[in-house]
Amino acid sequence: MNSIRKILILFLIIFIKTLYAQSNVNPNVSAVGTFNTFTNFIKGSDEYGKLNFETPQLELFIDGYLNPYSRATVDIAFEEGEFGVEEIYAEILRGLPLDLQLKAGKYLLGFGKINTVHPHAWPFLDRPLAHQVFLGEEGFNDIGLDVSFILPFEEVYTSFDIGVFKGDAIGKTEADAEDEKSIMELRGINPITVGRLSMFYDIDEYNNIEVGLNSAYGLHAKSELNLLGDSTATLTKENLYSLYGGLDFKYKYKPDGYTSFVLQGEGILNNRDVIRDKGFGINIEKQAVEKITTFGGFIYCDYQFLKQFSVGVKYDFTYGIIGDEPGFNTLSNDDKNTTSGISGWFGYYPVEETLAFRLGVQHLTFNYNDGTSRDGETVFKLQMLFSLGPHKAHQF
Amino acid sequence: MKKIILFVLILLFQITTFSEVKIVATTTVIYDLVKQVGGDKVSVDYLCRGDQDPHFLEVLPSYMLKIRKADIMFEIGLGLELWAQQLIDGSRNSNLKIVDLSKEIEKKDIPTGKIDASQGDIHPNGNPHYWLDPDNAKVIAQEILDALSEHDPVNADYYNSNYNKFVKNLDEKMKQWENKMKKVKGKPVIFFHASWIYFAEHFGVKIAGYVEPKPGIPPTPSHNADVINLIKKNNIKFIVMENFYSDNAPKQISSATGIKVIKVPVAVFGMEGINSYIDMMDYLINEFAGNI
Repeated sequence: MNSIRKILILFLIIFIKTLYAQSNVNPNVSAVGTFNTFTNFIKGSDEYGKLNFETPQLELFIDGYLNPYSRATVDIAFEEGEFGVEEIYAEILRGLPLDLQLKAGKYLLGFGKINTVHPHAWPFLDRPLAHQVFLGEEGFNDIGLDVSFILPFEEVYTSFDIGVFKGDAIGKTEADAEDEKSIMELRGINPITVGRLSMFYDIDEYNNIEVGLNSAYGLHAKSELNLLGDSTATLTKENLYSLYGGLDFKYKYKPDGYTSFVLQGEGILNNRDVIRDKGFGINIEKQAVEKITTFGGFIYCDYQFLKQFSVGVKYDFTYGIIGDEPGFNTLSNDDKNTTSGISGWFGYYPVEETLAFRLGVQHLTFNYNDGTSRDGETVFKLQMLFSLGPHKAHQF
Repeated sequence: MKKIILFVLILLFQITTFSEVKIVATTTVIYDLVKQVGGDKVSVDYLCRGDQDPHFLEVLPSYMLKIRKADIMFEIGLGLELWAQQLIDGSRNSNLKIVDLSKEIEKKDIPTGKIDASQGDIHPNGNPHYWLDPDNAKVIAQEILDALSEHDPVNADYYNSNYNKFVKNLDEKMKQWENKMKKVKGKPVIFFHASWIYFAEHFGVKIAGYVEPKPGIPPTPSHNADVINLIKKNNIKFIVMENFYSDNAPKQISSATGIKVIKVPVAVFGMEGINSYIDMMDYLINEFAGNI
């Protein structure tokens, strides 16, 4: 009890300092612009073979220290013609008991290694398919707080993070991502828990590896089911839970400042309650809750050479059909159909990473359990990125 | 019982007396100078390897572990280690003392007027490559001495004695270096990156130009052509470059002019056999004097 009181007092001191500290130092402000053009080769599409121009995207980052113990970050995004707050959070970096770090706000969760990295910093151009299916079109981005511990190992940097989040990101995989109301109706107020254990090891001066284990558990939807199938039957309320398990790794070989090779991959296991129609005969409306287990993942390698160039390939596989509307039988709730993808890219960074040009191609193959035939889709994309203002050093 | 308490107290005293000051140095030059001054009373580790460009270091969690254990972190400062703050934050070490070794350095190349990225990777508070002037090695060692003596006053005399030995040794070496560099004095030299102003001004070497068109900006064909003209016009003998940079552009210039390209270490452990600051300076002086 005494130690809890001490922690509360420390929090108060830090936050009161933040509120009343006067500062004449400006935060860092930086902008990242992304401009994509693409050509798809999707049979039957009106846009087949035509050059498309996407509305340029902007991310405006404002970050800095609030005081010697904590810092805050704001990321405002302009995508598809609309502004939105991508991330807004504060972190207490030092001064807490047990060297804990605390982070609170809206941000990209540490579920896997790639999710916390903004897309402009990925070597590839398209979000991994498994992330699109299980974590949503914009990644696992949610509102909540988490604490981070460093475990006391001498040679292996081992961190354990655990947090509680609103859970909307999971709801987005089965409801319209833009319609907050429909997500709320699906989930109500039911926070989810997300955890990550990661271990980083220096193999030698030029080779490093990190592996991580991830989990996310919580209620992903609430529903009223007709368990009997009788049209006059009283509907039964059911809570539907999901458990995501994840495994990720990243290996990097960097012999000098001009060359590097990265091999990285992630896998997500999805175990969840889903609603399935079981109706037949007079019980035509009968429904049931079933437990399904699906999975997805990706693996890629990226080779940087002469400092200014990079090439890479990625293989993706996931349950669910990419492009399906979120729903109770699609994407993360789909245990019948799968999508696989192969992509490649070439990057050119003329001067450091303030300006980048990337050419990429992705081919998707769809596999329907009921034998439905669908042609694969190929999209070529040319991307220009710029980074204006201070940018941080590369994190492994 | 009294004997046990006495034994425990003696043991604790021993541990306290012989516990080393844990230091992390951002570069291997600092690492060596801390070893020179701290001797066996400190345990020291470094972040940036001698064969790495200290401007760009990837933020590795293993570096955070090194900082996490440290009592003091010494850094070059002047914006060289822009990566350091991320590592310090990641280390969660709230007791870490950070010592910026540039405090007493007479800074050079401080840009004037409007500063922006069109000027390349410039350092608004001055050029950070000051360790290449051996006079500044004394200033760095003095800063290290002050920080160690303040943190560990019990061993202040020991540190002071080590510092004096180092300075005496350095002074003797400096006489040799200055003697060898007499023949290079006033001679024009092309450098790859704008990191040699302190060295050049100390030894009277004339900086004729740089292979990089602006600091940190990769060489371009048109700039290479300018450098080639400059070399031909001024009969310049060699290009000096840090050994962690690509020598593609210097080699092209060399094939057009016949100029020598000298790749040198600018940090301790930057090359096999370079195990101390004095080794590094010896190597540099010999390369300059031997190739003029």
